Amino acid sequence: MVSHSDRPANIALATVTRRLMEGLLTAWAAVSLTFFALRVVAGDPVASLLSQGLASPEQVESLRRSLGLDAPLLIQYLQFLKGFLRGDLGTSLYTSRPVSVVIAEQLPATITLALTGLGLALLFGLGLGVTAAWKEHSSAGRVAARLAGLATALPVAFTGVISLLLYRYILQWFPSVGFIASRRLFLPAMVLGFSSAGAIARVVQAGLFESMRSPYMLAARARGIGRGVRLLWHALRPALPPATSLSALEAAYLLAGTVVTETVFSRPGLGRLLVSSILQGDYPIAQGVVALAALFYTASHIIADILAFLIDPRLRKVT
Amino acid sequence: MRRDLPTLLSAGWLLAVCVVSITAPMISNSSPYQPVAEPLTPPGQHFMLGTDALGRDVWTRLVYGARINPGASLLATAITVTIGGLSGLIAASISGWLDRTIMWIANAMLAIPGLLLAMLFVAAMGPGLPTVILAVGFGGAPGFARLARTIFQQVRERGYVTAAKALGAGRSWVALHHLLPNAQGQLLSLATTHFAWAFMGTTTLTFLGLAGDPSIPEWGAMLNTGRAHLIDAPWLALFPGLAISLTILAVQSLGARLANSESK
Repeated sequence: MVSHSDRPANIALATVTRRLMEGLLTAWAAVSLTFFALRVVAGDPVASLLSQGLASPEQVESLRRSLGLDAPLLIQYLQFLKGFLRGDLGTSLYTSRPVSVVIAEQLPATITLALTGLGLALLFGLGLGVTAAWKEHSSAGRVAARLAGLATALPVAFTGVISLLLYRYILQWFPSVGFIASRRLFLPAMVLGFSSAGAIARVVQAGLFESMRSPYMLAARARGIGRGVRLLWHALRPALPPATSLSALEAAYLLAGTVVTETVFSRPGLGRLLVSSILQGDYPIAQGVVALAALFYTASHIIADILAFLIDPRLRKVT
Repeated sequence: MRRDLPTLLSAGWLLAVCVVSITAPMISNSSPYQPVAEPLTPPGQHFMLGTDALGRDVWTRLVYGARINPGASLLATAITVTIGGLSGLIAASISGWLDRTIMWIANAMLAIPGLLLAMLFVAAMGPGLPTVILAVGFGGAPGFARLARTIFQQVRERGYVTAAKALGAGRSWVALHHLLPNAQGQLLSLATTHFAWAFMGTTTLTFLGLAGDPSIPEWGAMLNTGRAHLIDAPWLALFPGLAISLTILAVQSLGARLANSESK
């Protein structure tokens, strides 16, 4: 008799549950890290207010009490965790507004940029990867491979500035481009997408390279299936799972990429918020943004694993 | 020979950056901090790369920046290699709970993208160039530790390590006399790849204004201030941006070359 837990559905469920537990543990560790990095390395966060002459010693003392900074570190940590679980990230040192509200205000702009960037990254990545593999021995393939290499190497700050310069010149010649290529979203998203496309292209190219040399490709060719169908259906499908997991990870890195893109294009969002909070010494905001990024990263890591599991039947057998 | 052209060009560029950084006062006789001409003078006969919004010579500032950026990234890489390499070595030579603890901490740190982790450290220590160097050094350590551990573990499985253990060699002897010397080549190529990341990291943080003082002749900060004059003086952003990108491309191409020769 087959035991209960050996059924495929249960194996899948067990894998997903285990992955979720691991993810929760990592998320907890990362969030704790944001707490301890700031408290242990920075020492007293309120002291900077005093040294900048923004508050008198008495004010600092009362602020410290109201922030709970006079309690022992462990108590502070437990209180931080308790608040975090309820969505309370503390209050800004400068404006006294709740950090969660400040973050919630900036979140939509960053999410829009990151998602558009991810879409374009997939488009560029697939396009470059397929071209590089399909036209391997022609100049088009070499150009695609070179572009993919450049995409990973060039800093977003530089590609952003270059894109702005190009945009201005193109606008001089074709003013109507301005309507299509909105400077507020399209251009930053292009730059962001390009920076992530290189890694995706490389994985797609490597996957295609491998599957194009597999026996089933020869079999498909023997059955008289056309080259395009062979490439896009038979060869590309096994190359997709690694590209999918990578894209989910790139989604998390896009969040870090938005920090630079938002600065280059003077676009509001979480990245600008993070930079300005660091410059001002407003540590609760910096801590909140980084903790959120860690949660987002862990979540996309889990989603990446589950997606790969769902797309690739080969993974399901090996648990 | 044609295959080696990228390597030659990369080595040439890095050599030029080194030479320029050493001989900076000889190459340019003006100060990177003092105005020399009208603000925003275009590139021309007197000022090869023009002047910035305060009338300072862009060429001079770039030349002095060749001292700051590669130096800062080198320091950050040194911090990463020391912390990450040491934790990797300890984790690989003392397996068991210590290995698990070190890797658990590294994985928790890796749940925060490297750039954001570095920014977290800057938030903790306050803006400034030394902080940026430390932050990028710490920020890269967990990833480096994980890769270094894998390299040390591979060396650990080789026959001569088993032989040394059979002869009664202790853990620290094996670590210092077998693991470290035999992992050197792979660690060097790993460190080269990491240098490119550290360079990208430090210039990104200074680009974001986290080095504090904007008057420092530093490529990232120059690129950032150049943004304000994209229409009237595009050279302000273009030249530092090119210097940053060429350096990253050169280091990456050399790193790939090194990794290739290592795997052969």
